[in-house]
Amino acid sequence: MIVLGIDGMDPVFLERHWNSLPNLNRLRQRGDFRRLATTIPPQSPVAWSTVSTGLDPGGHGIFDFIHRDPATRLPISSMAEVTAASTTLHIGPYLLPLSSGRVESLRAGRTFWQLLGDHGVPATVIRMPANFPPAECEQESLAGMGTPDLNGSFGTFTFFTNDPAERRTQISGGRIVRLHIESGSTVLHIHGPPNTLRADHATRDIAVQVHADPTAAAARFDMPEQQFVLRQGEWSDWQRADFRLIAGLKSVSGIFRIYLQQVHPYLRIYVSPVNVDPNDPALPLSTPKRFSRTLAAELGPFYTQGIAEETSAFRAGILSKPEFLVQSRKVLADSLRMFRYQLNRFSSGLLFYYFSSIDQNSHMLWGKYEADLLDIYRKVDGAVGEAMAQPNTELLILSDHGFAPFDRAVHLNTWLMQQGYLTLNNPSHMGDAEEFAHVNWEKTQAYALGLNGIYLNLYGRENGGVVSLADKQDLLDEISQKLLDFRDPVNGEHVIDKIYFADKVYRGRNLKNAPDIIVGFRRGYRASWQTALGAVPAAAIEDNTQAWIGDHCMAADEVPGVLLSNRKFQVGNPEMTDIAATILNEFGVPGTREMLGRMVF
Amino acid sequence: MDLFHTVVNAVLRAFVALFSWAPPSVGLTIISASAGMGMLWVFRRTSDQARIRRVKKKVYAHLLEMRVYSDEPALTWRAQRSLLKVNVQYLLLTLPPCLFLAVPVAVLLIHVEAFYGRAPLELARPALVTAAFDSGPEGPAPELTIPPQFDISAPPVRVLSEHQVSWRVLPRAPFSGELTFAINGRKVTKRVVAGRGPAFVPGRRVRSVWASFWYPDEPHISAPGIEWIEVSYPGAVISVFGWQIPWLAWFVIVSMLSALLLKKRFGVTL
Repeated sequence: MIVLGIDGMDPVFLERHWNSLPNLNRLRQRGDFRRLATTIPPQSPVAWSTVSTGLDPGGHGIFDFIHRDPATRLPISSMAEVTAASTTLHIGPYLLPLSSGRVESLRAGRTFWQLLGDHGVPATVIRMPANFPPAECEQESLAGMGTPDLNGSFGTFTFFTNDPAERRTQISGGRIVRLHIESGSTVLHIHGPPNTLRADHATRDIAVQVHADPTAAAARFDMPEQQFVLRQGEWSDWQRADFRLIAGLKSVSGIFRIYLQQVHPYLRIYVSPVNVDPNDPALPLSTPKRFSRTLAAELGPFYTQGIAEETSAFRAGILSKPEFLVQSRKVLADSLRMFRYQLNRFSSGLLFYYFSSIDQNSHMLWGKYEADLLDIYRKVDGAVGEAMAQPNTELLILSDHGFAPFDRAVHLNTWLMQQGYLTLNNPSHMGDAEEFAHVNWEKTQAYALGLNGIYLNLYGRENGGVVSLADKQDLLDEISQKLLDFRDPVNGEHVIDKIYFADKVYRGRNLKNAPDIIVGFRRGYRASWQTALGAVPAAAIEDNTQAWIGDHCMAADEVPGVLLSNRKFQVGNPEMTDIAATILNEFGVPGTREMLGRMVF
Repeated sequence: MDLFHTVVNAVLRAFVALFSWAPPSVGLTIISASAGMGMLWVFRRTSDQARIRRVKKKVYAHLLEMRVYSDEPALTWRAQRSLLKVNVQYLLLTLPPCLFLAVPVAVLLIHVEAFYGRAPLELARPALVTAAFDSGPEGPAPELTIPPQFDISAPPVRVLSEHQVSWRVLPRAPFSGELTFAINGRKVTKRVVAGRGPAFVPGRRVRSVWASFWYPDEPHISAPGIEWIEVSYPGAVISVFGWQIPWLAWFVIVSMLSALLLKKRFGVTL
């Protein structure tokens, strides 16, 4: 059985373009096609965790990309937790660990491939989202969305320039470094990971010398062990670098790519996030551990960062749309190469393969650049055709959600403030300062964090919470009603379609990190980026002027996913929870007691 | 110097050609074993074997002394001191043969590098050709003429701070021949090899006669103004019983092993 997970594949887009997507069209004609009800909220880590475990978010405990630590109300990753060594020995500048640190997945429940493994069914699971660190088992698996770069972030690029027009230094997802050029030469200091073996945790860097030709649009890059020349507008191959933690004793290996955007009159160089080297992984990337090495030996270096498309640089205006498209096609080419390798070696059991490209490109192209997006769909359609060519194989294709335009950005914290539920120390402090920098918690009853969540400042749960347990439900009802009444001042339309309460919409009881209110935005509306990280800008709602123009973090009914197969479905309205049950049933493997879902065939 | 290198190179080429039917590890194993025997022969001729034998006996004696009198701290301490002293004597006795061996072994290793240490350029994979000059280059980059099996895939990059120019070349088909540079009105060539499999892959070509000791694969450059030309070849490894190892490691293992195994036959005490 082959299962293809195609993030963000939209049913309406498919229906509009069947003629351009011959393999998907053939599949639905010979087999079946349905809309697949997505999770609440319709976010990738949430939905794919449901696919993996057959549990709803209340069971697997993932409700967003991020959740908050009730003690600090600061955002933390919902998918994995990294804990440093608890016992260390301080010698001079060094901090030697006497116990090991840990990287733990926050997703609860057993995955379908673990259960298959328990019953001797071989499975290969490539890039399943929210599977970092990979679920422990003997099956071959490679971590997907949620895998950090070598710095521990979801992807931090570096942009080097001497362009005086570029005055920024920090932007979301990246940093901008000013270059000093002498005789056409300069040095790029590329950040590696913080050195956890030093007391000051100083970042380890590697230096790349750059020599720009005085007149030609090309430059030479001198790495510690090799040199290469790039023309303006070219991406380098993968470059490998060792970041030394203790000279001669301990180093970590990373890989990155360099893009020479411009040489004259100003040098503009983009360096991708430093990915964990699959050949010598500093973080757990695969099961078994040697699997990522095997893949690197067979295929060469590949993107290991969970979300590899450079949307942050596009949003920040560092990369133009054509440059973003080139880079995202490189990610897809990388993925297709690995897909073909896996397809060629697949003989029995299960192969799950995940494609991120439609999702990431839809975010940047939705509704405005139909032809560019269709080109990505076509490439994925080609991969579907290759999977269909496998003899005697059941094929199941699913997406976790569809897409919708993201026209208006809603600052939920500002709305909460306007309604009297959130108070600033000084009203003049409204702005883009993140992490609730100016919030007066003694006078705040509710706050928003993440892309769909509102939390009460609950006594006994939040540090210094003010809302008593007795008042909780009344307050939730009051806020919910006001949210449903919330209208866009520009067009008078409702902003929010649905409000969900975790204890009502989920069957699972693993609700420790669940928001108290899950906001189901109307099509076209979404929580702002500022809301996601706890900022309180001036207006409650404004036009989305960023390059990120498509999204799915809305009411679940607005953005269903798709389900296709070369077999007929017996279920009229399949859901995300049905996928694990269906896969296990195909191999005659029983699910766990907690698993929800039905067999779709 | 060029003549000397040419002779050494020709001998090695003939030797490697004899074993061209076999994997590279076979030829290298024979070179390494021969080198081990050669080193034994030089060692016997240039060392005081009688004194070495005496000193080694003393070493064994002091080791035995330490073992027998392990419960006598004073004796053990004295034995350790004596052992240190005879070890120094041993090292001094092996110094002359080592000095005699240093130059020929260095010459051998430097030459063998071109056969086993570098791989030909991979087809369709860009590589750099870099030339270093005495000064500049302030004006346009020198002209590089490439064979039809190659493309130049980027403008030449002049690195003023290092007086270098780098060209990015792309091999399209297997080739072994020359790149030609027009420098100050004179033509300078550099051998280049692209394709698969083991081959003689020459390293840097230099102008300085003294530097050509370290870069012996091509005659030194006679044209003024240019210091060296280099092609960035990928490194090669030797496959031995499925293990990929650097050729130098295999050379050391085999030459040492052959020397140890044959020392009695050669009547040598090491």
